[in-house]
Amino acid sequence: MADYRVAGKGRINRRKTIRFTFDGRSFTGFEGDTVASALLANGVHLMGRSFKYHRPRGPVTAGSEEPNALIGTSRGTKGRFEPNTRATVQEIHDGLEATSQNKWPSLKVDVGEVNDKLHKLFAAGFYYKTFMWPKSFWDRVYEPFIRSAAGLGVSPTEIDPDTYASRYLHCDLLIVGAGSAGLGAALTAARSGAHVVLVDENVELGGSLLCEDGIEIDGRAASDWVEAARDELAEMDNVRTLTRTTAIGYYHENMVALAQKLTDHLAQVPEHAPRERMWRVRAKQVVLAQGALERPLMFDGNDRPGVMLAGSAQTYLHKYGVLVGRNVAIATSHDSAWYAAFDLADAGAKIAAIIDVRADADAALRAEADRRGIRVHVNHTVTHARGRLRVKGLRVARQNGAGRPTGAFVIGCDAVLMSGGWTPSLHLFSHTKGSLHWDEETGVFLPGEKTENCHIAGAGRGLWGHQNTVNDGVLAANAALASLGHDAHEARFAVSKDRPGSGIVVRELPTDANAANARAFTDFQNDVTAKDIRLAVKHGMRSIEHVKRFTTNGMATDQGKMANMNGLNVAADQLGRPAPKVGLTTFRPPYTPTTFGTFAGYHKEELFELTRKTPIDGWAEENGAAFEPVSLWRRAWYFPQAGEDMRTAVARECAATRKSLGMFDASTLGKIEVVGPDAAEFMNRMYTNPWTKLGVGRCRYGLLLGEDGFIRDDGVIGRMSQDRFHVTTTTGGAARVLTMMEHYLQTEWPDLDVWLTSTTEQWSTIALNGPNARNVLEPFVEGLDISGDAFAHMSVAECTVAGFEARLFRISFTGELGFEVNVPSAHGRALWEKLHAEGRKYDVCVYGTETMHVLRAEKGYIIVGQDTDGTVTPMDAGLSWAIGKKKLDFVGKRSLDRPDMLVPDRKQLVGLLTEDPETVLEEGAQIVEHGDTGLPARMIGHVTSSYWSAALNRSIAMAMVEGGFDRHGKSVDIPMPGATHGAKITGTNFYDPEGSRINM
Amino acid sequence: MTQARIDLDLNVRDLPFSGKFSLRCRQDKRPALSKALGLDLPGKIGGSAGAGTRRAFCVGPDEWMILCSEAERAELAKVCAALYGGTPHSLVDVSFREVGIAVSGRDSATLLSMFCARDLSRIAVGGGVRTLFDTAQALILRDGSFDYQLYVWRSFHPHVSALLGVGESELRTGL
Repeated sequence: MADYRVAGKGRINRRKTIRFTFDGRSFTGFEGDTVASALLANGVHLMGRSFKYHRPRGPVTAGSEEPNALIGTSRGTKGRFEPNTRATVQEIHDGLEATSQNKWPSLKVDVGEVNDKLHKLFAAGFYYKTFMWPKSFWDRVYEPFIRSAAGLGVSPTEIDPDTYASRYLHCDLLIVGAGSAGLGAALTAARSGAHVVLVDENVELGGSLLCEDGIEIDGRAASDWVEAARDELAEMDNVRTLTRTTAIGYYHENMVALAQKLTDHLAQVPEHAPRERMWRVRAKQVVLAQGALERPLMFDGNDRPGVMLAGSAQTYLHKYGVLVGRNVAIATSHDSAWYAAFDLADAGAKIAAIIDVRADADAALRAEADRRGIRVHVNHTVTHARGRLRVKGLRVARQNGAGRPTGAFVIGCDAVLMSGGWTPSLHLFSHTKGSLHWDEETGVFLPGEKTENCHIAGAGRGLWGHQNTVNDGVLAANAALASLGHDAHEARFAVSKDRPGSGIVVRELPTDANAANARAFTDFQNDVTAKDIRLAVKHGMRSIEHVKRFTTNGMATDQGKMANMNGLNVAADQLGRPAPKVGLTTFRPPYTPTTFGTFAGYHKEELFELTRKTPIDGWAEENGAAFEPVSLWRRAWYFPQAGEDMRTAVARECAATRKSLGMFDASTLGKIEVVGPDAAEFMNRMYTNPWTKLGVGRCRYGLLLGEDGFIRDDGVIGRMSQDRFHVTTTTGGAARVLTMMEHYLQTEWPDLDVWLTSTTEQWSTIALNGPNARNVLEPFVEGLDISGDAFAHMSVAECTVAGFEARLFRISFTGELGFEVNVPSAHGRALWEKLHAEGRKYDVCVYGTETMHVLRAEKGYIIVGQDTDGTVTPMDAGLSWAIGKKKLDFVGKRSLDRPDMLVPDRKQLVGLLTEDPETVLEEGAQIVEHGDTGLPARMIGHVTSSYWSAALNRSIAMAMVEGGFDRHGKSVDIPMPGATHGAKITGTNFYDPEGSRINM
Repeated sequence: MTQARIDLDLNVRDLPFSGKFSLRCRQDKRPALSKALGLDLPGKIGGSAGAGTRRAFCVGPDEWMILCSEAERAELAKVCAALYGGTPHSLVDVSFREVGIAVSGRDSATLLSMFCARDLSRIAVGGGVRTLFDTAQALILRDGSFDYQLYVWRSFHPHVSALLGVGESELRTGL
């Protein structure tokens, strides 16, 4: 195996060899290597196939912006596979299994490469133009084909077993990026005593300071200075440094999200250790020191394995001790690549040539090249990169006075380092909606107006050379410190042997070949070429937003970190307009691809969502209840006995309750204590019903409307004293009702002396229903006569039940004699068990929500949200009696007088009895006129509630039907899958319409 | 790094039952109620006052959470009721609505920061805030530099408690 390591170079730990596999083949690297650096050290550049054309690809960068070297990685066990991992970021560890993507049967021999030969067919807009016709092909042929071809890598199908963490963090100053600007800012701010958080996506602090030769800061080698800075920051209590941590999003009010990788680099992961952590940082000030990203040059074959960015080759050399080639050609429009040539030459590589597209080059650089014997071609262009699985040579030509290539020749090489200049990395700044200004001189966008408390430092605002950037970090920190009221630190850093430089922005390099055949890529990940961009413009795209969508330039997971500026320059050239007039697309979070797990954090499995359980829930579970979710609560649904299905269990529970005694856990009902001298007035204004004359110790059914006059909630409300009401709400409506009440109180009626307190969880509520309800309760009640005469239906009182303080209601949601006992929630289960034991004398039956629903439907009592849907008025629901006719106002009153609310054919609540008593209609089924067989039939209503009624030995249903009140006795049809069922419209009070049972 | 961290300083435990009341009144009634309760009801949200086993935390512009011993519950209700005629207010017993959890030790704030967006270091010792803990409403009190108390609704407690357990396991990994 080839060895491209350079002795004495790199920051890897050569004492620790790591073994891993790539496509099943075993490789070794050193601790500190990435997959990319370790493979390059073994002479392997080919790491993947491109998305659309299946072209062979190798790493073009050494960092998180990598568009090409995307691999699959496995973290060992089932579910721990990740597609599209960037080989340039993933650290190797023993046992790591890496695989290439988008190839078959193998990376070197890939059938899909036929697409590359057909590239003219697959030009931009191919899908839009080709799959338009025949229209019928879309669903069955085109869409399935496109979907199966779309996407890079294979999605994992198993559940990810890893854990993901999250934390909130507050600080004075968050510094994003720990290169020279970031470290300059961090040292300055840290020494002032401010609480500083410094983040960097790399394993080590230092940024490009660790990727260059010779630079000295304050008289020390840059790497020594970085280590000293790291140590100084580590010693300080007011500084937190996070590495392997990417600032992925910048949100309102200086909230910055950081994604930290914790264990992907470890061979052995400790139990319970989270894989990644999302930090949500609220920073008073932010310094963005994200640096700049190098742009590729656009020439035919600029995507061949072995062609990479010049700065990245320096990173491989200085961080990993890897030469990306032994015979290296440089193609550049910026001075920085000359230094890459010098560094590689000094490390033993042969530099085949430096090709600079500019008319001339800096004399000092030329002298340095001469000193190393490097051949230089200024004012030259690259027209083609030879080689398929690995670059073999560059075709180079001189540019004549008109910029036309002449006298082409070929330079043999095994690697090409290119640089088209540097793009300030303004992704996070873009998230803040800060404006960008076009800098004509350098041809890049720079930060403009800011919307957040942030400062941009260093190469991120177009500066170049470490003397400039490190001290710009100082300036940014001082600006932030001044805003925080800290003293500024005037210290400056002295950089010697610096490498300042400049460059020009170029479009596709001039070629003497047929430009229509040039495969000069702008977007490597999405396989977009410069001619695709020009084609888009020719097709009429004018805005970069349209060009982007037509070509998919910049739409891959790297969000155009390399593609956007090149694409824009080409589009602007084709349009003959200045780049800022063509526009720049907006960057969105996350800055780099981020796992779903990191966003989900702790919210998975049992902790996915909070599940509320009543104090009696444990008893229900022990006694075999089936449960159903009701808002955040889980409620006992029914209690099946051996051999029972739901219908038989519910039928038994209904029958037993009507016959003797049923018990029900009603603890989830919302409860609100309304207290104050204006309590009754407040109730009058909120609810439709009159409350002034409700006596202390009496209850009333309350109906709550929205401003629009539609039913929002209901519940029984008891008057505990002149100034105190015990309000109950629906289970799901509790929070909504309290919020609505508070809203009215605070915004409409702040003059009222009344206050609201949620008491839902203060009380456990046990409902007893059936002819024996009083008999079971009576022995436990102290301080209250609950006989029929003394404690009539719709009474409430405070008393003691089984020794517990209690609020006792005589109310019924079943039509039977009923009581609801409220005791402090901690005693709920104790009372439940006592009542249940006593209830055995009366064959007590514990029932769940389903039986509750059936029993109330037999009486025609509505359930808000089931029989109502937000468009139902009290009149529609047959609840006009609940409206206080003499009241001047209540919420929704005015809306009830609107003409639309009074038309006779509104949907109204009715009962339905099917012709076949055995047929139980589907809830939600549509209702049509009897005999209407037209297609489509006109739907005149829908079924809202439908059950088997044990008491009536037949099915019953409730429905909302147009003009339903006038249709009593008439027939309708309910089409359902398989058959259309006839039914007769009736009233809703199916059982004991006289209401005698309730008054036993 | 893969070794379990052994120097974790963290103690999470459920608090015993105590008396809790939600008190609501207009600001001008504050002095009279303060006098009756024997403590100076704070006027500013986040403020607190204590006297003996009674403590009051201002959690809204007209809202206080009063904590007291179980034995004081009846007495506290009585003194307020006696005042009601001239000093209208709302006193509602929520002793059973809320369940308390004590989180203490040097790592307590880190544990809480996994689930709470508030900067807990900015709560003055002795003070408290009403906030969200994960998705649950919570009253978080700070009793000492490293001592916090969480009060959450009874049905939120298992979720909150489980989260604290997961967080503690995470801290023990040292990662």
